[in-house]
Amino acid sequence: MTLSIAPQRPGGPAPDDGDDERAAAPDRSLPAVIPAGEPPPHPSRASLRGLDWFVFFVANVQTGFGPFISVYLTSSAWTQVDIGIVLSIGSLVALLGQMPGGAIVDAVPSERLVAAISVALIGASALMFAVWPIYIAVLGASVLHAAASCVLGPAMAAISLGLVGHGGMSERLGRNARFAAIGNGIAAAAMGACGYWLSNRAVFVVTAVLMMPALVALAFIRPGEIDPERAHGGQPEQPPQRPLSSLWQPGRLRPLLIFSASFMLFQLANSAMLPLMGSVLTMRSSRWASVLIAACIVVPQLLVAAISPWVGRRAQLVGRRPLLLLGFAALPIRGVLFAVIHDPNVLVIAQLLDGVSGAVFGVLVPLVVADVTRRTGHFNLALGITGTAIGVGASLSTTLAGYVSDHAGSETAFIVLAAVAAAGLACIWTLMPETRPDDERPAREESPPATAGA
Amino acid sequence: MHGHSRWAAALVAAAVIVAMAPPASARSRHRGHRANRANPATQPAQVPSSGMRSNDESSRKMSEVANTGKAGWPLALGVNDAEAILGKNVHSSTGEDMGRLVDVVVDIDGRPRAAIIDFGGFLGVGSRKIAVDWSVLKFAPNDPKGNVISVTLTRDQVKAAPEFKEGSPVVALGASASPPPAPAAPPQAQEK
Repeated sequence: MTLSIAPQRPGGPAPDDGDDERAAAPDRSLPAVIPAGEPPPHPSRASLRGLDWFVFFVANVQTGFGPFISVYLTSSAWTQVDIGIVLSIGSLVALLGQMPGGAIVDAVPSERLVAAISVALIGASALMFAVWPIYIAVLGASVLHAAASCVLGPAMAAISLGLVGHGGMSERLGRNARFAAIGNGIAAAAMGACGYWLSNRAVFVVTAVLMMPALVALAFIRPGEIDPERAHGGQPEQPPQRPLSSLWQPGRLRPLLIFSASFMLFQLANSAMLPLMGSVLTMRSSRWASVLIAACIVVPQLLVAAISPWVGRRAQLVGRRPLLLLGFAALPIRGVLFAVIHDPNVLVIAQLLDGVSGAVFGVLVPLVVADVTRRTGHFNLALGITGTAIGVGASLSTTLAGYVSDHAGSETAFIVLAAVAAAGLACIWTLMPETRPDDERPAREESPPATAGA
Repeated sequence: MHGHSRWAAALVAAAVIVAMAPPASARSRHRGHRANRANPATQPAQVPSSGMRSNDESSRKMSEVANTGKAGWPLALGVNDAEAILGKNVHSSTGEDMGRLVDVVVDIDGRPRAAIIDFGGFLGVGSRKIAVDWSVLKFAPNDPKGNVISVTLTRDQVKAAPEFKEGSPVVALGASASPPPAPAAPPQAQEK
């Protein structure tokens, strides 16, 4: 399955991309004392485009594994009980696997290899879903998918960091978020069409097949340009006495934990909002409900694709905090709008705010984690910590929203979610420090209004 | 995101018993389910308390077998007499897609009283589980066009039905007003 990781594709798209040798070598020989001011790496065009499309196709593949699984299993004559069990086990694995997944990526010498293996495993699990929808196979496939995703997420972040370094990370993450959003949006539309005109099973076949172009795109990324040390956040200045001690410093741990807690609140509010709104749409508008829900899924992705490069650049120019505040502020507003708006078409417009939060979420989560883990060698483990917090928030979200909406109606549920989101916003506002390192502040910016953007 | 885990099996018997269970044994002993607005004598259409999957064995073309046979012998049903229904699409009489049948609610005597339909949504987002009275369902086993299950309700009637919840009383739609249907589900029938 992993054969296509062959180092170079003959006839790559960019005819000449020159300086790969130059890019990979130098920083390691430098004394690591120079903080983050290493000479910026110069990854080749082929690698950068390869990463673009890798992110795109991975987003394609992952879209098939959403709530659609339960539609598919229902149509394969599964009982709701069994579907619930399988999905719960899958999400538990996805939750518990975050930190080990990150630690694995920190430990391996080749991010590309682990990324390839996990994409292949995810493709295999899609295939298992498609050809063999019986209990044990589906359970195995969903565990396999969850575990592989725990590795794939950090591996993509690590490849990005290893290619471009901290200095180029905000711009790179903006690009990643753009391609992921396009991939998600296109895949959701295509899979909707596929399920409608072909069959639900065909959706998983397509998902499995999309693994191929993902691997091809990955093969365009030149392994020599991914500096493993850089990909793990850079090595500590002196070798740590105890494992993890480079990460376990108050100056790093505190912002990481505040950040993770804020995003836990964010997901606690965010995760259930779209499904709940979809259910309200189904209740209010019979004929167009499915189309409106499809629009609610796809349209915010288009907005994410449009603005995330801007988010990446602004994060570099004005710092992380103003953008975090922007993304967090969009969420309570959306919750309140969902509670008060009754016109289905206007609801779709309010859903655009999801694109704002989504772009901030996609860019700033890996970016801030990369900020606080500089020179720790534990970038990906820290991503796993944040990912666990986000996962906890997401899995409690449906329960919370379902409970409130059963007992007090969906309007109240939206208000409660908005209140949770407001708590997350308050957490960022009052506790979260600016994490942009001083040496990345643009030279022309004289005064350091680090937290003034609020 | 996966809230399905609460689907404990407490009150609801899953509709499909794979292959050939003697009908007498397919009685559910669960108590306490009442399809509230159902007329008590719901006529279970052709298939009594359990759906039978018989089309696997195409050799058994026994179309005349009485499916209410009392004998304790294996029951054979012809391909045009019965079909498994769990997960099958449900259509309205005008051909609208009404979602999928995901569960069947039976009463203390094992008679089916309501079907749970997963209605609406896109790729699994925003669908609602709704109970419809068993008597509004029509079955056409192995229908050539694939319309195995149809229901004499429209999307507009079904959309605002209360969501089916495990462990709370089942409010099933239908039955009360038959042909010119205006069964007036709960109050929210506003927009559209």
